[in-house]
Amino acid sequence: MATGILARRLRALVGDDGVVDADDVLLVYECDGYTLERAAPELVVLPRTPAETAAVVRLLAEERVAFVPRGAGTGLSGGTLPLAAPVMVCTSRLREIESIDLRNRRLVAQAGVVNSWVTRAVQGDRLLYAPDPSSQTACTIGGNVAENSGGPHTLKYGVTVNHVLGVELVLPSGEVVRLGGAVEDRPGPDLVGFVVGSEGTLGITTRATLRLVRAPEAVRTLLAIFDSVDAASEAVSDVIASGIVPAALEMMDRLVLQAVEQAFSAGFPADAGAVLLVELDGPAAGLEEQAEAVSAVCRRNGSREIRVARDEAERALLWKARKRAFGAVGRLAPNYCTQDGVVPRSRLPEIVRAIAATAERHRLRIGNLLHAGDGNIHPVILFDERDADEVRRVIEAGHEILAACVALGGSLSGEHGIGVEKIGQMPLLFSPDDLLAMTRLKAVFDPEGRANPHKVVPDAKVCVEARAPRRQAAM
Amino acid sequence: MSAPSGDHAAALAALASELGADAVREAGPGDLVDGVAPFAVVRPADAEQARRAVAIAVRGGIALVASGLGRHLSIGAPPRHLGLLLRMDRVDRVVEHHAADMTVTVEAGCTLAALDERLRRAGQWLPLDPPAPAETTVGGLVAANLAGPLRASQGGVRDLLLGIETVSGEGVVVRGGGRVVKNVAGYDLPRLHVGALGSLGVVLAATFKTVPVPPGEGAVEVEVASPREACDLALALRDAFEPAWLELVAEAGGPATRVVFGCAGLPPEVACGLLRARTETEARGHRAVEVEDATALRARLAEFPLREAAAILRVSTLPDRTGLALESLARAARDCGVRAPLSAQVASGIARAAIADAVAVAPVLRALRARREDPDAAVVVERASAEVKPRLVGDADPWGDPGESLALVRGVKRALDPGGILSPGRLPGGV
Ligand SMILES: Cc1cc2nc3c(=O)[nH]c(=O)nc-3n(C[C@H](O)[C@H](O)[C@H](O)COP(=O)(O)OP(=O)(O)OC[C@H]3O[C@@H](n4cnc5c(N)ncnc54)[C@H](O)[C@@H]3O)c2cc1C
Repeated sequence: MATGILARRLRALVGDDGVVDADDVLLVYECDGYTLERAAPELVVLPRTPAETAAVVRLLAEERVAFVPRGAGTGLSGGTLPLAAPVMVCTSRLREIESIDLRNRRLVAQAGVVNSWVTRAVQGDRLLYAPDPSSQTACTIGGNVAENSGGPHTLKYGVTVNHVLGVELVLPSGEVVRLGGAVEDRPGPDLVGFVVGSEGTLGITTRATLRLVRAPEAVRTLLAIFDSVDAASEAVSDVIASGIVPAALEMMDRLVLQAVEQAFSAGFPADAGAVLLVELDGPAAGLEEQAEAVSAVCRRNGSREIRVARDEAERALLWKARKRAFGAVGRLAPNYCTQDGVVPRSRLPEIVRAIAATAERHRLRIGNLLHAGDGNIHPVILFDERDADEVRRVIEAGHEILAACVALGGSLSGEHGIGVEKIGQMPLLFSPDDLLAMTRLKAVFDPEGRANPHKVVPDAKVCVEARAPRRQAAM
Repeated sequence: MSAPSGDHAAALAALASELGADAVREAGPGDLVDGVAPFAVVRPADAEQARRAVAIAVRGGIALVASGLGRHLSIGAPPRHLGLLLRMDRVDRVVEHHAADMTVTVEAGCTLAALDERLRRAGQWLPLDPPAPAETTVGGLVAANLAGPLRASQGGVRDLLLGIETVSGEGVVVRGGGRVVKNVAGYDLPRLHVGALGSLGVVLAATFKTVPVPPGEGAVEVEVASPREACDLALALRDAFEPAWLELVAEAGGPATRVVFGCAGLPPEVACGLLRARTETEARGHRAVEVEDATALRARLAEFPLREAAAILRVSTLPDRTGLALESLARAARDCGVRAPLSAQVASGIARAAIADAVAVAPVLRALRARREDPDAAVVVERASAEVKPRLVGDADPWGDPGESLALVRGVKRALDPGGILSPGRLPGGV
């Protein structure tokens, strides 16, 4: 069907303002947080309700049109890049929190609900939604479910999949299935767990039943300053080995610290090699002892100074500096690219050294933000997209860093997903048989291959043509 | 039992020649699965032998059920066909425990007791406490999604499983997940196997998160007049202090219900938890009694699903309806004139009854399902003896309504076991 006719039929379903087909507006949708590759869809549809979403997908099914789901577009692996998918279905207008059950600690949110709205809705009742990506004031529950997103506090509380009890999924056929729900332990295989983290390749999530957790009674946040990343990494290993599970255990290296300091004046010493941000939470009883134990471990590993946030305002400043660190680093260069890899936590010093070597080899500036307690690294690579050679080196450096993670026994992604960015590296981690199983499982949900094609699992049949519409940034 | 048919004889010969004669034997009366007899029992010595055994079954189109020590084989619907019983208990290595990374990779046949012994050397554990740890293997833990009281604070298998290695229904090794605590590369195959009863692959090995063993544990018990009152009190205790475990125990017939509140952590945390629980209890006019050995009590409570009984019925519901679920179970048992000890895990919304009398199981189940007091609840037969299983048909199906995901589950089954040889028929909907 011609795009014009499709747009008309979609407008009939979602209203005039629910379809974007003007070229200049479509440009907004040509990339998400991963900006190294861009391609605009032919149409963007913005349904207002779960039912409208299903109607849209049914129409696309009738017309055999492939689609790419999108939430807020903060993804960092190019999951929303349209590849052989003319229509983008954006769930950002599904903004309703449909029900809150405080006693059972459940909340049903539509896909477009922004992550931080969930906690805001229940914090008066001393509950919260634990997964807290740094993008939490923008990213959506639909995107979080698709990426199985994490955040600083997932060290203790777990990632999205640990807090999603049910999803409503519009299959690519337009059929709606509810998997799981408010009641746990339904018999049979865990399809909810399978759908979480599937990056929009199995259908569109319209609703999710979330688990709420009790807000911690008391919190201690401390900042330990080190001369080197190595010393800070050793401290991380020792904290973990001591039997204490902090709520968060984050590391920032010198480059990041300097950027953060310029942006927020959070009071970080400019000559520090690395800092650890450690948060402990739980009942007030016992917390002080844990904080002292952590401080002692840090001092033993050469921390030259330890600061304890004295009140909520000081704590907020430390976290603001951490959560906005990507943006702060971004100010140091025209462009930046955030990588995401994982190593076993005891291998942090090795991966950080490997990253430094990569930076040197490719003549790049790379800062490091780490969810250190989880072994989840976020090297931030600075570049200028007008310099084609530099862009090429950025991509190569990213691949090298991920290969190093895998070689150390880690993984290609801890929380940002495979998307288009890492699909070529999946064979580093998985055998052809593993990948074939994944391909077949995708086909169970999406036999025609119309949901977010060419993502997550490399497809032997991906031809150059299918990938032609995208262009490399400034290349 | 009839003599092995031609196919069977060929498979036996292939198994004996590839795995060695001592790894294969003809099945005996002790090897039945829900009353269904296999013709042979295979006990591979290692993971590679297990893969080969499955490959031989695939070639011969022979159905198989994988098992550890057989302690949990009474879970699920009876297998539709059965040729081989694959005993994984010799595939039992702890492959690696990285204490500093807090992960452990362990083969399917390792028992939870053996694993625990190993992890404790480093002050860690896998915080899952299903019944009979000495007879429960890692493969069974995953396949049957087993858990115990600690589930209230530590989550279930799905929350601790990081990676898996399986043999598919095509005899091919398929891996998913990995060895790191945070990982979103590729589809989440590990979770798909949780609760799949081995029907999507024979588990060879699994990787889990481990956590430090809490230095202290304590508990209080409170007796109240009814399950519903017990549930209300339990939720109030949960709001006063986050428990490590929270159980209700009762007996159909006798209305009194015990609430058991357990907490764990550093000694001051435990002391604080117990104090708060006592204060909250007394404010409601009840008396809290401190338990002498909380860890031992928790282990006893964990054994409930393996009590001497014809069947264990389970109602899964919302936490605040577990009291109601216990009352429904009690009433249904009473109406059918059968004794039924009851137990519930409030935080995860699970209520169980142990039905003593084989003849009563199906009627109790039907009564519960017919009344549908709680539309969201799932009423299932969690375990039942071979004597009971054949009676569980029609509206007394062990799983009940398979729900709207059935078509997807069938598809997933076909994707990973196209020949339908792995535990056929054991999942909801006859999958
Ligand atoms: C500054 C910054 C900080 C970040 N920090 C973190 C962090 O700490 N932890 C972390 O895990 N991530 C982080 N991210 C990454 C990103 O925010 C998350 O991946 C987030 O979950 C994406 O949500 P979104 O709504 O923006 O989804 P999008 O980017 O729009 O989409 C992401 C993927 O989800 C799919 N999708 C979206 N909605 C749906 C739906 N309704 N149904 C099916 N599929 C859907 C898309 O097809 C795509 O594959 C950060 C990003 C930025 C820019």
